[in-house]
Amino acid sequence: MYYFDHSATTPVHSDVLDLMHSIQKDVYGNPSSVHSQGRKARLLIETARKQVAKAIGTIPNQIIFTSGGTEANNQVFWSLLNQNNIHVVSNTIEHPAVLKVLSEMETHGIDYDLVTVNKNGRISIADIESEIQENTGLISIMLANNEMGTIQPIKEIVALANENNILVHSDAVQCLGKMPLDVNDLGVDYLSLSAHKFYGPKGIGVLYFKNKDSLSSLMIGGGQEIGLRAGTENIASIAGMGLAAELVTNQLDHHINELASFEAHFKSELKTIFPNAIFNGDANNKLPGLVCVSFPGYRSDILMAKLDRANFAVSSGSACGSGNVKPSRVLSEMGVDDEINISTLRFSFGASNTSEQVDLLLSELKTILTD
Amino acid sequence: MEHIAVGMSGGVDSAVAASILVEKGYDVEGLFMKNWEEDSEYCNAEKDYKDALQVCDTLGIPLRSVNFAKEYWERVFQNFLDEYRSGRTPNPDILCNTEIKFKEFLHYAQDLGADKIATGHYVRSKEVAGKVQLLKGLDPGKDQSYFLYGLNQEQICSALFPIGDLEKPNVRDRAEKLGFDIFDKKDSTGICFIGERDFKEFLQQYIPAQPGIIVTSSGTKVGDHDGLMYYTLGQRKGLGIGGGYGDGEGAWYVLDKDLENNELIVGQGHDHAGLYQKRLTASDLHWISGKAPNSENLKAKIRYRAQDATCRITELNNTDISVEFEEPRFAIAPGQSVVFYEGDVCLGGAVIDKAFN
Repeated sequence: MYYFDHSATTPVHSDVLDLMHSIQKDVYGNPSSVHSQGRKARLLIETARKQVAKAIGTIPNQIIFTSGGTEANNQVFWSLLNQNNIHVVSNTIEHPAVLKVLSEMETHGIDYDLVTVNKNGRISIADIESEIQENTGLISIMLANNEMGTIQPIKEIVALANENNILVHSDAVQCLGKMPLDVNDLGVDYLSLSAHKFYGPKGIGVLYFKNKDSLSSLMIGGGQEIGLRAGTENIASIAGMGLAAELVTNQLDHHINELASFEAHFKSELKTIFPNAIFNGDANNKLPGLVCVSFPGYRSDILMAKLDRANFAVSSGSACGSGNVKPSRVLSEMGVDDEINISTLRFSFGASNTSEQVDLLLSELKTILTD
Repeated sequence: MEHIAVGMSGGVDSAVAASILVEKGYDVEGLFMKNWEEDSEYCNAEKDYKDALQVCDTLGIPLRSVNFAKEYWERVFQNFLDEYRSGRTPNPDILCNTEIKFKEFLHYAQDLGADKIATGHYVRSKEVAGKVQLLKGLDPGKDQSYFLYGLNQEQICSALFPIGDLEKPNVRDRAEKLGFDIFDKKDSTGICFIGERDFKEFLQQYIPAQPGIIVTSSGTKVGDHDGLMYYTLGQRKGLGIGGGYGDGEGAWYVLDKDLENNELIVGQGHDHAGLYQKRLTASDLHWISGKAPNSENLKAKIRYRAQDATCRITELNNTDISVEFEEPRFAIAPGQSVVFYEGDVCLGGAVIDKAFN
């Protein structure tokens, strides 16, 4: 199996697996217990908190562990119910873990407006400014998009928000390990992360917050995570995520270079094989190693099935559940017409790839596209 | 090994068809087809897809999905409505096979690189002297050749029917042993896109009803009807003819529809002469072998599950025939197909236009 779907999820780093295995085997204590087993467990969690905090340039008491990016996003939004300023500005290409939450919250009295994006998937500051209202309490903009990798101008958004006393949340699940990530440099008030996007385990994530007072808990119970997320901690996963965060940030420059070189090679060779290929996204502001390509004249479901049969894993933005090939919402928002939209595949490279694998992918694509 | 795309409906028949191919060592993938956009309590594509997914996951084969709702709407459903508008009783499943399953679906599978498709139909195919024959399924209660008479040589050659020589209880047994959750899922009945819902209500959404009167063949009014399209020749239930009419004995049956005067013509008793005809004319003639059979021993079904009955065909031209049965047939309904057999071999058929004596 040749895996080119790292934006969907990543394989777990072997050191992380080893650590998690040993923890599951040996550390069964409840971190809330005072005895030595409890202390061991607590130490693992607090070590992980330091590792994750360091990876995003903050201090340990400004993060809590959640079940993933979705939960982190939900916690930020649902906390608004206790605020005075309940209008939110977001944008049309967010993940459903933002957009569906907002639309659900509308029935609870929250109001929101979405700004659109340009043909490269970038948001304009002026558009956000024009949606700001008297009671806007939060701006939520993803740091980089999962379908075509466009990075948003978060620092400028934060500057605008600060002038208006508005908090900023950013869903950054795609970003750790693919770009430098420093919450103080970005200036955001909240940031969501998910371990399985950076070679950690699934089912664990992070919510960073500048100020805990603005948050309320979705899980009520034993008071874990400074009262912001009750429930006995998932020790092995938390520790695994801590290590994964440390590993990707230690290797950051190397990893970015490798992803960029896979991407450059793939794009230039693909242009030779298939000159009509269209690369979507913002070439100047994008995550490395995530390539969103349209193959005019081909259908993504057929291409994907053929690649799957040849043992190559890629994905397509066009959702295909029970027989519905629907154009990708994100690409539609960028103005990509339906025909091109449903001919689009996403290749996302990662640490598990080699340049030989990229060449095998290219040669399989050549076979399929010239068949 | 040949690459086979199996049409997976989420039902037990296609599930077992796929499992048989996997056992035989074929390179199998599942293809789920969605032909109707609505997802409701009546037409639950999401649930069917999940059922198909459980089967494919159990078998360790991929399940892909494809949407032919537009093609189905244009080529099957519009015909279905046109037929009802003309007071006929269409059979959309026959058209679905020739226009969708063995055309669009087949082409899609071929685009995916499949050598053949397979379905969970209870039919068999056999090569005889350079031609393929379509044979009835071995389970006489489940035989589905009636719905597939419109296939041509190429379509049958491109398809496998893995459960054609199995009986239904055996199919369910296999499904249970293989761990398919749907081993006891209810068979779908009737027209797939209508499901269990009220037929009248469904049709009313598309065709305005024109109520009129119900009369006997001698012209006596015995009741009111809601619109001729809701009735089928030979229908007994749901006529709403109260007491006080007729001889007080014998149920009322639909004998005919008078479209011109918007009258439903009924008669009393299952033995009413108006319910039985010996002859019919039919059009859109199709022979599976490509040419008319040279058979002394021809039988025909005038609807799914009807008895095979001895008959003689006169070809009027390339597409139209007239058929004469040895014995009168009960309630021959225009819009349904007359399908011809020689023994177990399904030879072809045509769409019934008119029945008479």
